[in-house]
Amino acid sequence: MDLNDGELIRRIVEDGDQRAYAQLVRRYQSQLRFSLRNLCDGDQALADDMAQEAFIKAYKALPAFRGDARFSTWLYRIAYNLVMSYRRKNAPEVDQEAVDRAQAQETVEEAQQLGMARDLDAALQELSEPQRQAIHLCMQRGFSHEEAASIMKLPLGTVKSHVNRARARLQTLLQAWREEVVSG
Amino acid sequence: MDKFEWYSRNGEQGSGTLSEAQLRNSDPDFDTWLGQQLQFSEPYLDDDGFCDGVMERLPAPTRRSDRRVTRTQYGAVVLASAIVAWQFPLDEVLAEAARQSISLYSLLGLGVLSSVAAMFGGIVAARR
Repeated sequence: MDLNDGELIRRIVEDGDQRAYAQLVRRYQSQLRFSLRNLCDGDQALADDMAQEAFIKAYKALPAFRGDARFSTWLYRIAYNLVMSYRRKNAPEVDQEAVDRAQAQETVEEAQQLGMARDLDAALQELSEPQRQAIHLCMQRGFSHEEAASIMKLPLGTVKSHVNRARARLQTLLQAWREEVVSG
Repeated sequence: MDKFEWYSRNGEQGSGTLSEAQLRNSDPDFDTWLGQQLQFSEPYLDDDGFCDGVMERLPAPTRRSDRRVTRTQYGAVVLASAIVAWQFPLDEVLAEAARQSISLYSLLGLGVLSSVAAMFGGIVAARR
């Protein structure tokens, strides 16, 4: 039976039910790991470590979670803080070979072989990192501008501006695909 | 050639600057389309031991449930003691003690010690 986040959290906090937390981890692991891979410049091992840390930190802090925000927003905020803190401590020293190797082994060829996916990826790389993150959170993850602002620790207006600029830029870069879809 | 490359090189916005009008011009259809494309291009990442890794590293659960169980155990012991005290033939014991010339204080002390030992034993047994 699929319980909602609130019920699972109640069971974890009040009954110490770790199986309920396992359910939450399974629910969000794919999305969070994928998001962190973007944030870690494709370093999958680092992204998975950060995601694991985030889940553990969230578990420890769960009794203090008051439910003002959605659990997913709160979890993302923890994860983003961890990555940003890691980045501040460690200069950007990405093992590009490891990244390339890992990406070559990915089992997402189906999606990546499609021209659309490849072009979308290329278009996203044209954006600045904050714009890419804002678009990812708002348009891919479905967070509101307010939630994205709280995750990214940026003023609401700045996030809206990032989203608008990124959207306009993508609209231009992906115009041909749009026209193809519209014209059938 | 991918359509993106053409637009990136030759498109009006090749310089990367956008007018205010373009920024304000929000197209709901484009937003929906872009959202769909972003989600379509995202693979589902198999758990592949990730969840187990997290669960292994979790600290022991917060023991609020244990505290509740402990309170219940203490309650049960107190209740049992009250029933025993209620049923205990204190008058007869006191009368017998008077007949046998046993000091009341030593009798009470013995009773208290026995009760404490019984409660302690009960709690230890219940916790196990």
